[in-house]
Amino acid sequence: MDAWFAQYVDAYYLRIMVLIGINIILALGLNLITGVTGQLSMGHAGFMSIGAYTAAILTLHYGTSFVLALLSGSLMAAFFGFIIGIPTLRLEGDYLAMVTIGFAEIIRVFFLNFELGGKAVGLYGMQQYTTFSMVFILVILVVVLNWQLLKSRYGRALYAIRENEIAAEACGVNTTGMKVAAFTMGSFLAGLAGGLYSHYMGYIAPQDFGFMRSIEILNMVVLGGMGSIPGVMLGAAVLTVLPEMLRIVADYRLLFYGALLVILMIFRPNGIMGDMRLYDLKQRLRTKEVKTCRS
Amino acid sequence: MYKIRNKSIALLLIMALLFIIPGCGQKGSAGSSEDVIKLGFLGAKTGPVANYGIPGEKGMKLAIEELNAKGGILGKKVEGIYEDNKGDSAEIASIATKYITRDKVVAMVGDPCTGLTKVAADIAQKNGVVIFSPGATGPGVVEIGDYVFRNTLLDVFAVPAVVDWMMKEKGWTNFAIITSLNNGYSTALTPVFKEAINKKGGKIVLEDSINDGETDFTAQVTKLKRSGADVLVFTGYYTEAALIMNEVKKQNFDITLVGGDGLYGQDLAKLGKDAVEEKVIFYCGFSSDQPSPETEAFLKKYREKYGEEPDMFSAQYYDAVMILAKAMEDAKSTDPKVFKNELAKLKDYLGVSGKTTFLPNREPVKSPVCLITVKDGKFKLLDKIEVNVQ
Repeated sequence: MDAWFAQYVDAYYLRIMVLIGINIILALGLNLITGVTGQLSMGHAGFMSIGAYTAAILTLHYGTSFVLALLSGSLMAAFFGFIIGIPTLRLEGDYLAMVTIGFAEIIRVFFLNFELGGKAVGLYGMQQYTTFSMVFILVILVVVLNWQLLKSRYGRALYAIRENEIAAEACGVNTTGMKVAAFTMGSFLAGLAGGLYSHYMGYIAPQDFGFMRSIEILNMVVLGGMGSIPGVMLGAAVLTVLPEMLRIVADYRLLFYGALLVILMIFRPNGIMGDMRLYDLKQRLRTKEVKTCRS
Repeated sequence: MYKIRNKSIALLLIMALLFIIPGCGQKGSAGSSEDVIKLGFLGAKTGPVANYGIPGEKGMKLAIEELNAKGGILGKKVEGIYEDNKGDSAEIASIATKYITRDKVVAMVGDPCTGLTKVAADIAQKNGVVIFSPGATGPGVVEIGDYVFRNTLLDVFAVPAVVDWMMKEKGWTNFAIITSLNNGYSTALTPVFKEAINKKGGKIVLEDSINDGETDFTAQVTKLKRSGADVLVFTGYYTEAALIMNEVKKQNFDITLVGGDGLYGQDLAKLGKDAVEEKVIFYCGFSSDQPSPETEAFLKKYREKYGEEPDMFSAQYYDAVMILAKAMEDAKSTDPKVFKNELAKLKDYLGVSGKTTFLPNREPVKSPVCLITVKDGKFKLLDKIEVNVQ
């Protein structure tokens, strides 16, 4: 399928599409934590690097198959998400943000000094196992699972925690347990995206997963619309494509990029599709007539 | 009602933006034809390694201007494309792909960093486009394939010559080595120094480490003072080197710091002031002092055009473009498949950054190695060492 695809789409577009796919998986992971459950995490790139390094080390040094490496990377990230989540998720808001930043820094510095990970030089020579069709299928899978989760009882419990944690607890939601679960799932997706990323780029280094990377992922979620699956997907796509499109303005690229973000946030403070769900869109179309009559 | 319309308009606008703008880009590149030779610039114009990319871009622009003034290559005009990769590996991969598939470049010049060069070299090799790095000194670059070249002073050739110089000219035999652990350049350079010192019969009396970004080196310098070393080899960057020398001055003893071209930054003299005066020596492939006739001409043109001094990167980017042009002229072809073979045969090329020869494995040997020190707050050439091809 990929060979067929490559005939019709030029490699530059294909590359951007793969990166959009990887970013969608990343952003959907963070959306579970920050968008849906309302826990401000600013260390998503840390979990991504765990997945990226684990998968890369497995395929490079141990000759593991890619699927197994990808799965191990995701599980490793999930495991760390779980371990970190238990103590930290008792914190809220700014405090949690600080702890997650700190944790992401710890991971980065760890990889800087990690012999197997090539230290500051990073890892190089991973085969390009990640293909467009693979990313495409995984994105669909992740979206469907996310969608199913969010419309289930658990998903509504997560939304409830965001809206009012005390009320949710009073209604019998195990808030700590649910938060840790959301954190673990989000980390799993970050690890998955990391594994895909490292086997697409063929080169990873600790500085690829710095603080700015975490902020970029957070941007995708906030810009697209916290808690909305189509919104986050759009946010990830826009923020991946935007820097590429802005190559036209050459040296002023980053300036325009920043300005566009500011403009978007002024006009759409809740993100492009704040809290819009797929079935909300349908609902909206149906209620449109009713509303028109009233006004 | 009003709200919904607003929302859908915003959405429509964003969608339109998404699809229209890349379309525009495509139209622009469709106009390119066979009679223009395109070269892609790889390097950072913003971010932490922009200090290497910005002068590089200037050197490349100067070279292309000159080629066009002379009538281009094989009668075709040369065009440079200059994207900013921010020193980011995802960014350089996108740019390399864009250069190859969109702009249809015949060769890419860059990147100054080893890791980034490898990312781009992989893509270049797969697509059969020449990549020529004027700065990647680390291992494992030309091994990627026969489209990958570099023109820079390699540590493996320079360091033995420098160690030899230290032992013979200066009579230093007891070495202390300090590595910066979170700096990839430093962790790669230290083993090269160690091997050279051991081979030449020197003695390593102290091995210590720091991290980039630290500011207090009291502990390391105290150990250094006690170790009885004749000279300190520091493999990191200029900021830390200046801070170490400040501490040495504070503890009031006399030792010279020797390092690689990572110390080639104007901040070395600014931060170190009189603590680094004639107390820091580093090697690199380019110096504007005692220029050869080729370098002299380049210096004049560069100063005229930009009103500033060129550095190693401007010279090496300039040379890279000129070497590529020569290979295309010699091969009478602008097809990377053809002229890459001519490129590999390069021997004793006199460029503005010294003499370059490619070994059979395409590794460059550059001569001479310039030893540079700080004098009156400026970089001054201390000595030139010839490097022989074994």
